[in-house]
Amino acid sequence: MQGTGISATAVARSFGEVHAVRSMDLRAAAGEVTALVGPNGAGKTTLLLILATLLAPDAGTIRIAGYDPVTDPDDVRARMGWSPDVFGLYDGLTAREYLEFFGAAYRMTADQSRTRARELLALARLEEHADHPVHVLSRGQKQRLGLMRALVHDPEVLVLDEPASGLDPRSRVELRDLLRSFAAAGAAVLVSSHALADLEELAHHVVFVDAGRTVGEHRLDALPDAVRPRPWRLRALDADRLVAALRRAGADHETAGSAGVDVALTGDEEAADLLARLVADGVRVVSMAPVGGALEATFLELTEETR
Amino acid sequence: MTLAGVAAVARQEFTVRIRKGRWRWLLGAWFLVLLALTALLRESVLRAGRGVQPFRGAVMYGGLMLIVLSMALLVAPALTAQSVNGDRERGTLATLQVTRLSPLEIMLGKFGAAWGTMLVFLALTAPLVLWCVANGGVDAMSVVVVSVVMAVLLGTVCAVSLGLSSVLSRTTTSGVLSYLVVFALTIGTLVVFGLSSIATQETVTRPCAVEPPPPSAVEGQPAQVPDDCSFTTTRVRTDRTWLILAANPFVVLADAAPHRERCDDRTPQPASGAVRGPDVEPVEYCDNGLDPLGGIGRTVRDLRKPHVPEQPMTSSYLPPPARGKAVWPTGLTVNLVLGLGMLAVTVRQLRTPYRELPRGQRVA
Repeated sequence: MQGTGISATAVARSFGEVHAVRSMDLRAAAGEVTALVGPNGAGKTTLLLILATLLAPDAGTIRIAGYDPVTDPDDVRARMGWSPDVFGLYDGLTAREYLEFFGAAYRMTADQSRTRARELLALARLEEHADHPVHVLSRGQKQRLGLMRALVHDPEVLVLDEPASGLDPRSRVELRDLLRSFAAAGAAVLVSSHALADLEELAHHVVFVDAGRTVGEHRLDALPDAVRPRPWRLRALDADRLVAALRRAGADHETAGSAGVDVALTGDEEAADLLARLVADGVRVVSMAPVGGALEATFLELTEETR
Repeated sequence: MTLAGVAAVARQEFTVRIRKGRWRWLLGAWFLVLLALTALLRESVLRAGRGVQPFRGAVMYGGLMLIVLSMALLVAPALTAQSVNGDRERGTLATLQVTRLSPLEIMLGKFGAAWGTMLVFLALTAPLVLWCVANGGVDAMSVVVVSVVMAVLLGTVCAVSLGLSSVLSRTTTSGVLSYLVVFALTIGTLVVFGLSSIATQETVTRPCAVEPPPPSAVEGQPAQVPDDCSFTTTRVRTDRTWLILAANPFVVLADAAPHRERCDDRTPQPASGAVRGPDVEPVEYCDNGLDPLGGIGRTVRDLRKPHVPEQPMTSSYLPPPARGKAVWPTGLTVNLVLGLGMLAVTVRQLRTPYRELPRGQRVA
């Protein structure tokens, strides 16, 4: 898909002796949400800074909406919205003035900026706070305002570093819906996050990175099979009967307090077998899922391989 | 580069500055301090001789402008030395750099806001200038020239502070260094000028004065004139070192103000004639040596005067040598080059994508 979304090939960047990004490949297609997942220090933020036209890569080829961020940063900027993991707002400006200023910074006319600011304030549920100075906003409200800033010029590519940090559960759900609708409208959305459970419901596509390299690229509905035992959490109406049944089944288990019982299992196949046995044994199982979700399981698996 | 982009950045910077600080207090304190000092200047000049009184305002004005410049040189770095690295610290720089604003627009906007703020401080002195004018002797040309030169000098300090804030990652470092630059320009130039003038002084050998033969010479004997009488002495060559002093903002400001003739230079004083003192009312305005701007200007022009080869010492009258050329064009150029250079540095530092990153500097 030339001309749309993000494509990065063999990107490398070092800071002196530190190789922050050794070789990363990434595709983020238009109309999809792509998740960038990796442990701290994997090079996610560095890669996003390179995509955001702020940092020049030492090597590699990048196209964002068809343009090279190194040679044509202005063309990229006109089509890309970016929000960093930590950012500040201008103390003293109101939420409305803040968005209108960025409208001007994206070369919109005063009228366009005003209209757009109104739309975005409504989208972020910040209308009541539109004329309050930004420093009185709560952390979640600031986070939402920052996201709106990235949307001011209606970009076709959105690059977000940890957009969910500091958001309460309700705002996370809203963020997820917003990003999904944004992708549905044809934009390419790239999100880095540690909130893997959120990403699981949000992303179509996931790129795993570790130690400066891409270690896996999967569709969310086709994650690779596990090759190592991972904890799965089981809950039943009667916890004692569950434990007794697990003992009979010879499963390696450990109680996790009132949350349930954790059982080490390798892959979906093994999990399905155990569940069938438990049900046959008369245990009334309420839930059974990998701890932290499928994405976390894959993430741990992949990052362990490279250690 | 668009004007709208520059204006957007400047407006944003200006609004944030005005809403954040306690501006009413700061500007009020600035005005009151200057008002008190102007009143004090007036009282002092009132106690000078009668001859000064018709031109009292000019003396007050000169003193006031030197005070305004000193205070403004203290305010400017405080307001500007965190423009870029402060934004970086607060996490608002990178979000600006990914917009379509060019580094030049961001720099001009930030510089415009900083300089504009200093011009507001300057504009506040207008009532005091009017007070000086009301006291007589201030000519309009002087006010125009001094205001423009003052604005340019403050622009230079803003530019230097802005440049340092873009190069250095820590706001305290850029703040301290900005003040050191102001110190170097004001006190530093004086010290270096003084020391270098001493260090470069020359030793010269001068012939003795030719004495007429003593009248009581014994007849038949020729007068005893030594064949090669000479002595050694030292002389400073400020015609070589004046350039150091020229960069001093006070020198630039004082020398740029239109000069008036000094009263005693106008008519050569006969040795026994009545000395024209401050008690004699002059017919038209001349400088009695009280105008501080004129005083500084004359001093540096004298220092610049080309070196005159030594002449044998004689008791005969020598006409006063001509004044040296103006120093301020050179000084203003030095300041302008410094300021424009730092603005260029700022643009370079704001340009993304970054290839090299200074140690310890974050991108976002």
